[in-house]
Amino acid sequence: MSTCNHQWSMVNIRSGYLVVEGCHRCKARSSFFSTEPVPPVDDYQDGEHFWTYLGSSQAVKFDLACNDCGELVSLDDMMGLMLSTCRDPSCEVARIAEREGKGTWVYVALCADSTHASGKCVSERGIKALTEYFNGNIKDPDKRIIVVPCIKCESIDTCQGVVIADTGLTEIY
Amino acid sequence: MKVSELAEKTGLDSLNEYKDKEVEGVYISDMVSDIITGAKANGILVTLQTHKSLIAAANLVDVAAVVFVRGKKPAEDVVELATKAGIGLFVTDVDTWSFAMKLNKVGIK
Repeated sequence: MSTCNHQWSMVNIRSGYLVVEGCHRCKARSSFFSTEPVPPVDDYQDGEHFWTYLGSSQAVKFDLACNDCGELVSLDDMMGLMLSTCRDPSCEVARIAEREGKGTWVYVALCADSTHASGKCVSERGIKALTEYFNGNIKDPDKRIIVVPCIKCESIDTCQGVVIADTGLTEIY
Repeated sequence: MKVSELAEKTGLDSLNEYKDKEVEGVYISDMVSDIITGAKANGILVTLQTHKSLIAAANLVDVAAVVFVRGKKPAEDVVELATKAGIGLFVTDVDTWSFAMKLNKVGIK
């Protein structure tokens, strides 16, 4: 176990598109990050899933590295961040926000698979590093950030929140 | 320089109550995903974007105030969220470049 008091910096910052797909058979949602100049929109079959393009938004991905010990935390499993505004008492994320009270802001780290069928979500190591990184850069003594994995949401499809994404920015109306 | 002083010197219209923090820099961006990688704590964010996700991003990196250029005004729920976060929201009629020049003139770099 590391004894380093990590000083995190963002590294490997890359721009691209967050592409969201849905399976019309099982209603699962999946997302991936594409660095192609134009995001892929093709429908395809993958095992039991029939993925259909639902939309995309410009997005930025990054990893975190410690300036002191050089530890690198990959955030490949994180597709985005969402400020939770959930008030559902059956949702653990809402209960965390309620328990922590004023001045604490809960952000949900979103993984690629809304169903969490595999049991996987954004890694514990990634969540810890994200929390340390954002709190380490805050100068307001009354503010604190808690980052939680989306597997803690009662249902990521119905959980209330504000996703940090540039949805619609490249669309022309 | 405090946010309130900067607002007065650059002729900004205030949209909400906010924490009057010491301004430590400026970042200009119209992409919310870019804000979390570029904006810094106690900075001023200058933008055309009025979407709520902009406040979610600004709050995460502890931005002191947001200036909407070209007279853009956010919806009421956006103002409410910013007020809860203590982030000052301001409007200027001038474009981004002209406002950047004003910031430079008052010593914000």
